Amino acid sequence: MAGAAESILALTGKRTTGQSIRSQNVTAAVAIANIVKSSLGPVGLDKMLVDDVGDVIITNDGATILKQLEVEHPAGKVLVELAQLQDEEVGDGTTSVVIVAAELLKLADELVKNKLHPTTVINGYRLACKESVKYLNENLSFPVEELGRQSLVNAAKTSMSSKIIGPDSDFFSEMVVEATELVKVTDSATGKITYPIKAINVLKAHGKSARESMLIKGYALNCTVACQGMPLHIKDAKIACLDFSLQKAKMHLGISVVVEDPAKLEAIRREEFDIVKRRIEKILAAGANVILTSGGIDDLCLKMFTEAGAMAVRRCKKADLKRIAKATGATLTCSLANLEGEETFEASQLGHADEVAQERISDDELILIRGPKSRTASSIILRGANDTMLDEMERSVHDSLCVVRRVLESGRLVAGGGAVEAALNVYLEAFATTLSSREQLAVAEFAQALLVIPKTLSSNAARDATDLVAKLRAFHHKAQQNNKLAHLKWAGLDLENGEVRDNKECGVLEPAMSKVKSIKFATEAAITILRIDDLIKLDKEEPRGGDECGM
Amino acid sequence: MMGAGGQSIIVLSQGTKRESGHHVQIGNITACKTIADVIRTSLGPRAMLKMLMDPMGGIVMTNDGNAILREITVKHPAAKSMIDIARTQDEETGDGTTSVIVLAGEVMSQAQQFLEQKIHPTIIIQAYRNALEDAIKLAEEKYSRVIDVNNDEEIKTVVRSCLGTKMISKWMDLAVDIALNAVKTIRVDKGGVNEIDIKRYCRIEKIPGGTIEDCKVIKGVVLNKDVTHAKMRRRIENPRVVLLDCNLEYKKGESQTSLEIVREEDISKILEQEEIAIRKQCDEIIAVKPDIVFTEKGISDLAQHFLLKAGITALRRCKKTDNNRLARVTGARIVNDTCDLREDDVGTTAELFEITKIGDEYYTYVTSSKTTAVTVCLRGPSKDVINEVERNLQDALHVVRNVLLNPRLVPGGGALEMALAHALVEKGKSIEGVRQWPYKAVARALEVIPRTLVQNCGGSTIRQLTALRAKHAQSNDNWTWGIDGCSGKLVDMKELGIWDPLSVRLQVLKTAVETSVMLLRIDDIVSGTKKSGGGDGPVKEMPM
Repeated sequence: MAGAAESILALTGKRTTGQSIRSQNVTAAVAIANIVKSSLGPVGLDKMLVDDVGDVIITNDGATILKQLEVEHPAGKVLVELAQLQDEEVGDGTTSVVIVAAELLKLADELVKNKLHPTTVINGYRLACKESVKYLNENLSFPVEELGRQSLVNAAKTSMSSKIIGPDSDFFSEMVVEATELVKVTDSATGKITYPIKAINVLKAHGKSARESMLIKGYALNCTVACQGMPLHIKDAKIACLDFSLQKAKMHLGISVVVEDPAKLEAIRREEFDIVKRRIEKILAAGANVILTSGGIDDLCLKMFTEAGAMAVRRCKKADLKRIAKATGATLTCSLANLEGEETFEASQLGHADEVAQERISDDELILIRGPKSRTASSIILRGANDTMLDEMERSVHDSLCVVRRVLESGRLVAGGGAVEAALNVYLEAFATTLSSREQLAVAEFAQALLVIPKTLSSNAARDATDLVAKLRAFHHKAQQNNKLAHLKWAGLDLENGEVRDNKECGVLEPAMSKVKSIKFATEAAITILRIDDLIKLDKEEPRGGDECGM
Repeated sequence: MMGAGGQSIIVLSQGTKRESGHHVQIGNITACKTIADVIRTSLGPRAMLKMLMDPMGGIVMTNDGNAILREITVKHPAAKSMIDIARTQDEETGDGTTSVIVLAGEVMSQAQQFLEQKIHPTIIIQAYRNALEDAIKLAEEKYSRVIDVNNDEEIKTVVRSCLGTKMISKWMDLAVDIALNAVKTIRVDKGGVNEIDIKRYCRIEKIPGGTIEDCKVIKGVVLNKDVTHAKMRRRIENPRVVLLDCNLEYKKGESQTSLEIVREEDISKILEQEEIAIRKQCDEIIAVKPDIVFTEKGISDLAQHFLLKAGITALRRCKKTDNNRLARVTGARIVNDTCDLREDDVGTTAELFEITKIGDEYYTYVTSSKTTAVTVCLRGPSKDVINEVERNLQDALHVVRNVLLNPRLVPGGGALEMALAHALVEKGKSIEGVRQWPYKAVARALEVIPRTLVQNCGGSTIRQLTALRAKHAQSNDNWTWGIDGCSGKLVDMKELGIWDPLSVRLQVLKTAVETSVMLLRIDDIVSGTKKSGGGDGPVKEMPM
């Protein structure tokens, strides 16, 4: 492909190779990191994103910011995807992973400029990554049991400290931890405990203030009863979850019924009514007094429910219904037909809850299912000044929920505030000197790159980064040299006062898993970009074919 | 974003505009101040109306903060979130929309000086939050009093102070009576919880013509409808009412049924069939001996004929919401199939059914003295005036509701704000560090309410405000002193009888401070981002 590539290839395009493409990629990566840099840490600030239509998003979440930006550069896109990956896998730490990856690239570029082959750098990075993960797991993390429930609250607090709900983190962290604990599921077969945070329904309602957000032990459904005559409050509810419409029976696919006898026309009409009526009778006969359906309910059926004193809710979201079915022990019924071809509805298909009530919140009404029988559920209702704020609150709460889940599932924590990064830096530098190959340089640079986190944290807080980071490293050096001073390994930054302190003591904690993943992801992404030495960008294909047949 | 080698590298799409840093913060503050300035003159009893013209040429005349801001289109993203908060305030409490904007604008502009002094926004935010918490605690514990919800006079004073700022203030007593009456009627006690659903059970019927004095509350339902057949009875006392939501005409089934007719006589058979079907429906209705039938759907001519013969008055095409209200008035149950009709579905609690002609149109009244649904009938010289009266009345209704649900009152006329400002300044002195200044700034921002009140009635702002400040400093018992919005003088709100519901004022504080907190956290605006979730493939660049 060398030489006169343009003429040999059928397509026209641009080709960039060698050092220039590498520095281009690095510049793009650094540019992306610069965008999110200022939102890192407890004193980081938010971004306001305005789209073409003029809709506003205010956020502090790295993944959200990057998702909204229209990044064109291919290397930039890798970083955007990296943030997304971190978001899906861990849910938090999206900003830091991007910053670390960009820093790794920047330093690698320097090495390559000094004529170190990229593969050597890559090998070095791999080695360093492996070492640091090992060291982190062995020396820098500690189990949750050591600090108990308070550590969960602290981890949640740390994750929301940089967000809009930061000032109210005491309030929200308790709420988040409680919500997560409520959705605990133990797998009966394997005994494995999981926390499906998706089961926590986060609803938004504007009005009141953030502090008046509520945790509901039960499930909140953003629907209203189908008709005013229905009771708004049912104690000891028996819930039927249906996944079909209670509407007049209708033939599909435009089948037309041909009748000979005019008298039969009326009979068909009646039958249409009666099919659905019989269904409802069966459901009510089974003892249901709360009927939730994902489809519609015809007005003509409402009276039957009203008379039976039952509550019927139409057009619930299917995802909601599934969760309700799980929580209350109901079976989500798709059809009443049974194996014998008859239509039946068994009482065993019903779910149970202590109370179902429709309650007014702000201008909206919600259906609350309290005290479901088979499993606890939780919902969070967020309150706040306006939609943009609520959206950001939702994202922040989601991040914290993820963090709490990670902590509960993995059971290990690390100290935050740059403590881990500084410790790894000191450790890796010592480790680098034991290597006699060229990789030594790369490992040393890797160590250097990790320092970008404490540096950014302190510069966001308008502190002297150099001074603080030097102090921090000194602490960690002592901790690693002297066994008696091992407690100093928890030293991290206190950004409000610009000091170094014991962050384990102060409750600045992060799940170990999140740190491990972010180091791994950042390394992988950096390596991916580093391996590139050629960029071929094809020109847009001329729309020739379209012209010919179109005209 | 220049590359190392001097050549530029495009990272973001070229349509993206990015502003960051100090510039953005100042820009946001300016935007908020501008919005606040727009409606500043609509605060207080000497408020002026705004006339807004939409692109279609329609006119809105109002001094309701939310209504004004809803109509104007703004471009600045921060200004948009300001407008949002007026809506939040309206939804949550229905009143205080102007104050919330004015206060939020002021809280924002107080932050500017600190930003210029290079105080980090997070510190300002923390201080603001603390101040908000303290203010709420103070307002709840110290500067409010509980009233007796059963004492109409006390509630009336509250409504009066709410309406004092509106156009309807000239017909104050009338409006107060309407609001109080309406809300008291629709209050339902459900297991110890008061349910007051204004949206569903208090309808406002606007009938242009007449004078504003003719406005009244009707205990029952008013429909803009006439009977279907001219000969039907138009006045029935103690009627038996049937509510339907089905057609009284022959209708095809849901499934596609087609009828193939082979013989000639079948045609007449089909027609007969249809007639019999309607006949049967009507017979089923007649069997329960109602006087009136309301249905949400149509009534065919034939059905009208049968009903007329049985002496039943029929009305068709009622709205679902009206039917629900009728169900509350008459005690009837809405039935959707005539064959299900039973004796206990018939409503008998209505006292009078009457159709009267107002202006050019017929109006149906179904009234009962024991009902829990009301209709407020508004009259006035023109549609625009009635619309404004309606908005005023909505506010009043919400105020009554808020008071009945949370019977705590705070003094109006800027007295609460002044008292809080004074208390916060005192408290601020004990705060250590830089945080003290933004904390006190909230106190200063609160003074904007009395200041604007003085301004709007043409008083001397500095003199009156200083005097008021002094009054509050003199003794803690002076917490009810505020500004008389008509004269601009200092008055004791106890004497003037201006009291606002606590929930409204608290919501104002909360929303204003929280919004400014959110806006102050921003240090970067990126515009021209893609729509979330939207595909941005090359598809749109296809030729032709």
